[in-house]
Amino acid sequence: MSEQIVIVGFGPVAARLVDELLPALRAGQVGLTVIGQETEAAYNRVLVADLGVGRTTPEALALADAAALVADGVDVRLGVKVRRVDRARQSVILSDGTSAHYDRLVFATGSRPVIPNLTGLNPDPAAPVLPPGVTALRDLRDAEVLRRAVAGRKRVVVLGGGVLGLETALAAAEEGATVTVVHNGPHPLGRNIDRGGGAVLAASLRSCGVRVAGNARSTGVEHNGPDGGFSALLLDDGSAIDGDLLVLSCGVRPRIELAEGCGLSTGAGILVDHRLRAHHEPHIFAIGDCAEVRCPDPACTECRTARGPSGLVGPGWRQAEWLAEYLVLLSEGSVEDADSLPPLPQEKPGVIVLKARGMNMAVAGDNSAEPWDEEVLTAGAVNGRPRLQIAQWADPEHGRYVKMTTRGGVLEGLVSVGMPRTAGELVQLFERGAELPADRSLLLRLDGPDQLASAGASNDPESTVCRCAGVSGGKIADAAAGGCSTVAEVSAATRAGTGCGGCHEDIRGLIEKHFQGAAA
Amino acid sequence: MTKSADTHCPYCALQCAMTLKSPAATAATGLTPADQPGSSPVPAAPALEVSGRDFPTNRGGLCRKGWTSASLLQHPGRVTEPMFKGPDGVFRPISWDEALGRVTTAVKDARAKYGADSVGVFGGGGLTNEKAYQLGKFARLALGTSRIDYNGRFCMSSAAAAGMRAFGLDRGLPFPLEALDTASTILMLGSNVAETMPPFVQHLQGVRDAGGFIVVDPRRSATAAFTSDGGGIHLQPLPGTDLTLLLGISHVVIHEGLLDAEYIQARTTGFDAVVRSVNAYWPERVQSITGVPAELIRETARRLASGARRGGSYILTGRGVEQHVDGTDTATAAINLSLLLGLPGSTRSGYGTLTGQGNGQGGREHGQKADQLPGYRKITDPAARAHMAKVWNVPESLIPGPGLPAVQLLKSLGQPDGVRCLFVHASNIAVASPDANAVIRGLRSLDFLVVCDFFMSETAAEADLVLPVLQWAEEEGTLTNLEGRVLRRRQAIQPPAGARSELWIMARLAEALEAPSTYSDDPETVFEELRLASAGGAADYSGIDYAMLDSGAAAYWPYPAGSTGTPRMFLEAFAHADGKAVMTPVAPRRRRTPVANPDPAAKPMTLITGRLLEHYQSGAQTRRVAELLASRPEARVQIHPAAAAAMGITDGAGVSVANERGEVVCRAELSTAIRPETVFLPFHFPELESANRLTEAATDPISGMPEFKFNKVWVRLAAATPITSVLQTSEAS
Repeated sequence: MSEQIVIVGFGPVAARLVDELLPALRAGQVGLTVIGQETEAAYNRVLVADLGVGRTTPEALALADAAALVADGVDVRLGVKVRRVDRARQSVILSDGTSAHYDRLVFATGSRPVIPNLTGLNPDPAAPVLPPGVTALRDLRDAEVLRRAVAGRKRVVVLGGGVLGLETALAAAEEGATVTVVHNGPHPLGRNIDRGGGAVLAASLRSCGVRVAGNARSTGVEHNGPDGGFSALLLDDGSAIDGDLLVLSCGVRPRIELAEGCGLSTGAGILVDHRLRAHHEPHIFAIGDCAEVRCPDPACTECRTARGPSGLVGPGWRQAEWLAEYLVLLSEGSVEDADSLPPLPQEKPGVIVLKARGMNMAVAGDNSAEPWDEEVLTAGAVNGRPRLQIAQWADPEHGRYVKMTTRGGVLEGLVSVGMPRTAGELVQLFERGAELPADRSLLLRLDGPDQLASAGASNDPESTVCRCAGVSGGKIADAAAGGCSTVAEVSAATRAGTGCGGCHEDIRGLIEKHFQGAAA
Repeated sequence: MTKSADTHCPYCALQCAMTLKSPAATAATGLTPADQPGSSPVPAAPALEVSGRDFPTNRGGLCRKGWTSASLLQHPGRVTEPMFKGPDGVFRPISWDEALGRVTTAVKDARAKYGADSVGVFGGGGLTNEKAYQLGKFARLALGTSRIDYNGRFCMSSAAAAGMRAFGLDRGLPFPLEALDTASTILMLGSNVAETMPPFVQHLQGVRDAGGFIVVDPRRSATAAFTSDGGGIHLQPLPGTDLTLLLGISHVVIHEGLLDAEYIQARTTGFDAVVRSVNAYWPERVQSITGVPAELIRETARRLASGARRGGSYILTGRGVEQHVDGTDTATAAINLSLLLGLPGSTRSGYGTLTGQGNGQGGREHGQKADQLPGYRKITDPAARAHMAKVWNVPESLIPGPGLPAVQLLKSLGQPDGVRCLFVHASNIAVASPDANAVIRGLRSLDFLVVCDFFMSETAAEADLVLPVLQWAEEEGTLTNLEGRVLRRRQAIQPPAGARSELWIMARLAEALEAPSTYSDDPETVFEELRLASAGGAADYSGIDYAMLDSGAAAYWPYPAGSTGTPRMFLEAFAHADGKAVMTPVAPRRRRTPVANPDPAAKPMTLITGRLLEHYQSGAQTRRVAELLASRPEARVQIHPAAAAAMGITDGAGVSVANERGEVVCRAELSTAIRPETVFLPFHFPELESANRLTEAATDPISGMPEFKFNKVWVRLAAATPITSVLQTSEAS
């Protein structure tokens, strides 16, 4: 009989796992059940803010098609919750009273927004009920709330200076809303960015029409709007920021209650080893936002530096791809055989690229060290390991800032604001762990104007004017001296200009030059 | 006899129109030849004078290759008699009777010992339609083998497979080239037309003036440089990430509502699945993978969409994105993008692939592919087999089934169940195949190798028998250019006394092998048979004849008898049964892990390969043209100054580029036109400069296309061994 795989959760990471398992499902090797709490199949949550400002449609966000999956033989259950997991019987019990048996259970329950502790907000993390005019912008309904506010050109207050908050703020401002970002600390993005980058970023946000209220500590919300809706965010200095909609963007927290309820080990997320297995439970796995890779071995060096769940979708997708391969191997035979699959490589620190139309920013890794900070730069340089090196470029007047933190020529941190080509290059260098060119300024010139002079500008008679026929300026000048006074005549004599014809202007120039010289 | 003839260039698929005149005829016109006779010692005078001829594709233009093409006709290195290699390894001339006798014996021996499939045929995209057609027939009926494939597998197979899958039909450009003149936006991926087919560039002037020329290339190639000064945008992705980039552009088209919803509804299927498949590729994520800034990805999508509403938008792909193990999927991603925008089958927009070889289009239609019969028919289709059996007047059971695609065919050389006796036509596989060292080992393990060529190419040098054949100016026939337009090749000069047409060779051998059906040595007779064979097939030529072509008619296939041909395809419907185009969701596959670097002094880099303006394919012809060789006498590895500096490599220094398959040693050319982690090698040179010693014979699962354009190499300053230039070793010196 085929092995039964049950996936709890139907977000982007679960959708990828399902996609990757489809070939084995079609081959009859595994059976598959997916349980989603929302009534929609997986959609791309990364783009919910875009949907909220009317830049895309719900249809375009789809990552899975429930009907097509059912046709493929997947047991898709939408709009139901898993009440509990019966590990002894290897069964999940659902809110609609049904149950499902599993051989392998995968938690892909994702995360939920952090609701800050403010007066006037219900802070129950398990069942957040937000008052009218307040949204955490997580699902399609939240997007609809934002869309109405933006369409009505309302005042939107975004609480939180993380990347999602900034993206929402920029998109809403560009689409016509009046937006204020409220964050603590001196600049947005907190410790992901350094001081210089943060300052240029804040200035760029302002120039894109976003009000930025920094070093702000919020204490409560005021509900004096129509129908008791949100009217202002209250700060600890006694001031208030008026608005029609409050968007909470204060980070996410892994959804682990179900796992805790069935006795699995949890930290920030569900604890899994390097094969994504729950601790001491060979039948249960976790991937994506709800999973925390930290193996039970206290001596594991990889786990010593491991971070909690990143909240980014990329690592979750890589886990889904890897786990699908592993689950298929497990369904084929023994655990020993399956374990011949090399474990999932450790994730690099996440790259944050601001999704916005009007401005460009990318940060990654650790950017805390400053160029003159000898102590910090040499701290890790032991046993022949090179010290950190910093290269930096700041041009706040034009909204440009770049910082490259490297060790042995390889990026450990990067900040790029306002330089799209540089950002693109640095990010992929970081992702590949590739060495930077020794001349770092090379990376700063990518956004400059094209350096290439157009052909024919050179006065060197040896330089090629007609590439197609391989004719030099000197030969053309000779032809002119020999009596050729039109491009056609030069072409007949030298073949110059007989291919693509792109050099006709240059030939004309050389003829004119000859006859001017003759006249003078 | 010497006469003047209107014909087309012997080299690439642009097939520039040219006129060949005898020197006597030239003198009468009073024109001065470009190079005064006497400036180069041999040959004393060109056999013919070449001039450009006005034609919609080249508009009178020719590149250096075309201009100098006639110098090969009386080249001193030309093979003009059958050459047989004795036990001492030395070639000696033999008579045609003896040569054909030896081939017949070798074929019969192999068949008797190992079965019919031990005889193989490797064809080429340079053969005329007549020769390509007859070669497929000869292999299947006279040799009785299924083992035939051709070098087009290395060029067009990925785009062809993607075109078939999406449109139900593959014609490189399903519109005339002139259509590009008025386009507002052209997205060109992985093609360097400024070097590979310079006269093509005339058709890009309009789009450059409109600022809408977008080039995707990891190098700032001569073509990419056209985007400067307001001509457009150059996107410079990491090698091997083109597919991801295309998914990113499609993502923007969908999410910014730039798509043509009415067209998608009416003319395509598979839209929803494509929406889901590109959803995960938002521009910022694509930027992290490709290095292309998110804003430029958006800009590209917007320009394609706005161009479609103005003068038209075109998406064109070339080998740079197709010659990969995911080449079919990459071409499919480009087609999906074009379908989202409503480009294919419209009156002023479209998708196309730029065919490379002279008859790369016709060569893939008439039965030299392992899986196809003439007229672009599937060899496994019972109706197609029945049709061909009728045309050939043989029982259907006599037609073998599908053979092996090129890379697998070459891997089988000399193997126990593999090919033991091989025919090679119009192809220099010892230089042009992936993992060329392994191919050369395969050639040396054969029982018998017969190569038809007019020069002692690197492949011919490995042969037991070399049969001298005709050059373009010495023969009649037809070729099909990159637009799917059928052109006449015309004879201008008598061939050397000892050279023969391949049609003649096949006819004589078929006779000796007592083959069923008929084999003519007259091109027009063969074309008449090709018409019948192609009738009712996808590539239908049945309405075309020599008289019509000679009258100057523009004949674009499909051209069924009684029709007027098809300059622009798919206007009413696509070629699938329901008339709709099929969108197939595609995604990047995970890459294999490269072998660990054994040489700590070397730096791991990515190798990409391509062409130089002066040379064509393996260089077997162009390296023998003194003017071209003088201009580009050797391979140079292009490397970024920043990368070079870190390895102590200076301009002109000797560089070793190696991996587990082989090593290339050549001089460095420092250039900021290339990305710092990538090196570029031209593939026109042999031996120690042969780029294909490094390329991998891994293939695309759908098309069989090898991985030419994304190979891991280790680069270092070469030891102080002097580099011998090809100039000194070739017979041109």
